Formats: sequence, C-alpha cells, structure tokens
Amino acid sequence: MDLFLQFGHGMMEHCRHLVRSWAGGTVILSPRDLKREQLVKLSEEIRGLQGGQVLLDPQFYVPRSDHHRLTAHDYWPDSYQTNGFFGGPGMQTMMTDVLQLNRDLGCAAFVLPGLMATAIDDDWLATLRATVEHAATMNAGMPLYATVALSADSVRNTAGIQEVLAEFETLDVAGAYLLFEHPNGDYIVQDPIWLANVLELAAGLRLLKKTVVVGYANHELLCLGAASVNAIASGTWMNVRAFSPDRFLAADEEDIKRKAVWYYAPSSLSEYKPPFLDMAQQRGVLASMAPPAAYGSTYAAALFSGVQPSSVGFGEPEAFRHYLQCMLHQARGVRGATFDATLTGLRQTLDVAERQARQLASNGVLPQLRGFSDAFDPVRSALSSLEATRGPTLRRAWASL
Amino acid sequence: MDIPWIAAQFPQLVGLQPLAKGGQKVVFAAQHAAEGDVVLKLLLKATGGERLEREVLAGQLVECDRVPRVYETGSLATPIGECIWLREQRVQGTTLRTRLNAGALDFVGVLRLGAQLLSTLAQAEAKRIVHRDIKPENVMVDHGGNFWLLDFGLARHLDLESLTATRHHFGVGTFGYSAPEQMRNRKREIDGRADLFAVGVLLYECATGANPFLIGARDQLEVLRRVEQQALPRLQMPADRDGAFADLVAALVQKYPTQRPRTVAEALTWMTEIASAHASPLPGGRTA
Repeated sequence: MDLFLQFGHGMMEHCRHLVRSWAGGTVILSPRDLKREQLVKLSEEIRGLQGGQVLLDPQFYVPRSDHHRLTAHDYWPDSYQTNGFFGGPGMQTMMTDVLQLNRDLGCAAFVLPGLMATAIDDDWLATLRATVEHAATMNAGMPLYATVALSADSVRNTAGIQEVLAEFETLDVAGAYLLFEHPNGDYIVQDPIWLANVLELAAGLRLLKKTVVVGYANHELLCLGAASVNAIASGTWMNVRAFSPDRFLAADEEDIKRKAVWYYAPSSLSEYKPPFLDMAQQRGVLASMAPPAAYGSTYAAALFSGVQPSSVGFGEPEAFRHYLQCMLHQARGVRGATFDATLTGLRQTLDVAERQARQLASNGVLPQLRGFSDAFDPVRSALSSLEATRGPTLRRAWASL
Repeated sequence: MDIPWIAAQFPQLVGLQPLAKGGQKVVFAAQHAAEGDVVLKLLLKATGGERLEREVLAGQLVECDRVPRVYETGSLATPIGECIWLREQRVQGTTLRTRLNAGALDFVGVLRLGAQLLSTLAQAEAKRIVHRDIKPENVMVDHGGNFWLLDFGLARHLDLESLTATRHHFGVGTFGYSAPEQMRNRKREIDGRADLFAVGVLLYECATGANPFLIGARDQLEVLRRVEQQALPRLQMPADRDGAFADLVAALVQKYPTQRPRTVAEALTWMTEIASAHASPLPGGRTA
C-alpha cells in the first residue's frame, strides 16, 4: 500500500520536499486550496521530480458549495439544479472542463466528480453511473477513477455498502477514489461498524480488480492494507487526514487554526504534544517513542538529542514531515506476502502499540485528543469482520491483487 | 386421474407407478421401450403450467450429464382440466436427503458433491438459468455415487420475465437453503450467486450432518432470521488440512451476493482446485 499526499493548506513546499526525498510520490491536488495557475505550476514541479505524479480531486462533493476558491474554478458550474444536472448538458460541460484541467495538469488518472452520498439510494447511485457512463464516452486517455464520497451515516449502512459494490460490478472504471466522512467529527474513529464497512467496501472493490485510493486518511486507516488497498492519502492538518464535507461548503479563513504541534509516535499509533515529550524524557521513556531508524525520519531527531524536547524548536513543518515520513514507511510495510500474514502483522502492530501506549500512560505521557486507546479494539473488530466476510476470497486472490 | 386412465394416454409407457405428489403436480415412474426408466410429470396448466414450461425449457437448455434428460413434452386434456406433461430420464438412486439420514458424507464425498453440483450449475449459469431450489431433496445420489440435480420447477430464466410477483413479500425457494435476497424477493439481486448460497448451505450440511439454520428453529420466520443474521460456524474437517474447503464454503454462504464468488463458474474453478489438491481416484476413472 502506497501513501499519496493529500494536498491541503500550506502543503506546497512539503509536497515538493517529500516527493523529492522519496524519489517519487503522488500528490492529490486540491482546487479548494489552489488557483488554476497554482495547480498548473505545482503539477509541473511535482511531475518534474523523479517519480512524481499528480491526481486532481475535483471536490464536487457538495455542488451547492459557495466556497469562493472552489467555485472560482472554470469547471465549477454556474448553476446547479439537482433535477437534470446529471442527465443533461450541465454535467457534460463540467466533465469536459474537468477533463481538460486533468490534461493540462498531466494527471495520472481522471478522478471523476462525485456527489457525497448523504444516503446511499437509487438517486445517488444513478448520479454515480451517469458520471461514469459519460466519462467513458470522452476518450480521456487516462484511467478513470469514480469518486465515492460517503457521509458517516452512509458508511454505517452495511446494505448500502453492498449496493455500491453491486453498482461497481458493471461500472467501466479502472478505479475508485474513496472518501469517508468521520462520525461526529472524530479524528480517530471509534466505531467498529464504520471501520468494518470501510474495509468491506475497499476490499470488495479490490476484488473487482479496481484500483482503490482512499483519500483524507490518517494512521488509523493503515488497516486498509488488509483490504489490499493501493494507496491511502494523507496530509498535514487534521482536515486533510479526516474527510469532512464542511471543508468544501464555505470558505472559512479561520479553518486552519494554529494549534499545538503534535509528535507522532509510530510505535504507539498516537500523537503527543511536546510538553508530554518532556514528561517522557523526565520519566526515562522518551527513547521508546522515537521512530525506528528504518523509517528514515530525521525530522524529529532533535527531540531525542538529550535536550528538553519542548525547547528544540520542533515545529509544524517538522511534525508534518515526520508524520508523513512515518506513514509512508508504515503504509508500504503493511502488506504481507499473504492475506493472513498481513492480518497477523496488523494485529501485532496494534498489540505492540497498545502496550506501548499503556506503558507511556503509566508514566504520565498522555496523548490527550490524539490517542489511539479507544480505537485499538474497534480496529481489531473491523479486521475480524473483514476476515469473516472477505477473508476466504482475499486469501485466495491475494497474489493477484 | 387414476393410473389406468393415465396409462391409457401414454401407451408407450409400462409399469406406471406413483412416485410423488405435491401441489398441482403428480409424478410417476415408468418404463419406456427405448428410453428405459423414465419419470412422467403432469401439472395442471391453469395452476402452474408456466412453471412447468420453464422447467421443461431449463431441462432442455441445461445439457449436462447430471441433469435428467427431457425426452418429450406435451399437453393433455384431462377430466380435471388441461395438463402439460413431461417425460424425462429417471435417475436410479436415493435423494441426498435420504442419504443424509444415515449421517454426514465423508470429505471425498463432499468434494465430489461440490464439484459435480457446481459443474451442473455453471452450465445452467451459462444459459442464464438460476435453479433457485438447491436442497437435499432435489439432489439424487446414483448407484455410482454421482450427484444429479433435479427439479428445475422454480428455475429463473434471467432473460425471461419473472413468474414471481414483485408484490410478494417472500420469493420462491426453500427456507433454510435459499439466499436472503431470494427469500426477500429482491429480484434485481438474483443471479447465479443465489444458487451459490444454497450450495454452500448444502455442502455445510453434508459435511456436518445438520443444517444450523433449521435445527431447533421454531418456525420459518426464525429460519429466515438465522439465514439473514447468523453466520455459519467455520467448517472443521480434519481432511481439509489447509482449510481451503472451509474457506470456499464460508465464501458461498455470505449474506450478500456481492460477498460471494462473482459467478458459479468462478466458484467451480475454486472447487476444482481444492478437489485437485485432494485428488484420489474414484470409480470410473474420475477424481473427486
């Protein structure tokens, strides 16, 4: 499983730096955050780097958005009428414009516009099909990825998830770009049904031989390796690590609030503020929070230099790059030679992380809002559900996925 | 309709004996000079003629070694009304239900059942036919230990108009074997994967000697709840050393068609691989 970079506010230099550092990588561009000229420029820069690729997320989840940066793009329709848009010239015009933008940006695949499903029903499925069927007539010259953006309630709708899969059985697309709204605005989801259905949809699509990219992901979705997902995409701020339609509704210049810096401890799957790293140092457990050398993250090296962590100038850029560097390593390492080996590896990761988090907590090193403690069991539960429903077929098909 | 009257209408048949009677259908065993042992089925046209016609069509379309051959069909004016009839090959043996009364099948037997049944259904699938009533009563074990699929009376031709009214709350089939989408009459979801569910339940029952959806159930509604909500425990058969057969059965009995193998042909390939891995010579030079 690969890690793509989900573009968000202030990520230009991070993208350039990381793709260069990784000797390759894919950036999912965000029209919400970049004007057309900026999209073109960044795309050229990324593609100019060794192994650099871009995708464009058209972010048409909420067509009635009045987010001025989003609606300022040429492809955004001047008027959107619920009735008739997807069956008429409105959608066709938009698709033509979005395809042209994809071509101008040199995208590796054409991510099709898709509405967010507040409910998975016949109407929403019809818009999905109409978009795909129209795209198929456009000779895009690049693989087509259908966007499946689901509200938190839709994700919990187990029968609805199967309806999406049934629809994909006859959709002529190479892949799917999946976006799952987190329930209650949670960063780390604690709902096992939500997680199980995310895994179920991803696995079902992979078994249909579709390429699957899951956007707006954080480290909790490393478990998608068990569904043989091709890539998850993550970024810097929380709003590109957890999908929420609110981000695309109206421009809120205050949506990036300056918050505390968080250090991601990959071995406990939790993030900690520097004052708690000071506590870890005082309690003699700081070294256990360092990333393994194999992860290749030097961004946080200063924290482990012996100086008090909160005083070493570990700021947002370092925290973001450290997070994404660790995520890259963890994502690429999650897939095992077999489905069972992958599951075993993930379960071991959870067990180790839970022990580590407990050990740290017992020393007063607490992750506050970004802890994983309440997610260990939900993730385990979801993995067991996947094993029960899809395990036999994944086990059999693994080598071909 | 008594036997002498029936015998008079079919003079080429001798030794006419009642075999079964159910609903509006009567079935006789007989001998035919050229065809040997045959079965004669008669059904009142007014009450279910279309279904028998579909059964005839299915029997003719599914040209398979282990589906009884349909020799001849026709219609007949009887004292109780117009009947349609069909004469088909009679398989000598016992029903799988009778065989199961003596206990579970051994692993080789279960593999053979799976391979032969899926092979038959794959041919039906190729003709766009879903059997919709796979159960021990509709499978015959012949004297050579081969498994025959009988009774396409509920078969659905996916290219023909459904005979089951959409307004019906429940679809046709047999509670405890039929797939959830079939029992719920979600016709749009029904294809060969509905049969795969029933095959999975049947294989499970043959491997363990019992159908967990049926044992101790108070009524059909409880059976339905179990089918929809209760996962079958994983099969444990010592001879299934790597669990590959248990995996296949687990995949077949998933609640949603989208979670099962995509086609019967795909399931057959899976089954064949398992059977090959456990290959042992069988009578007649075949393997399981």
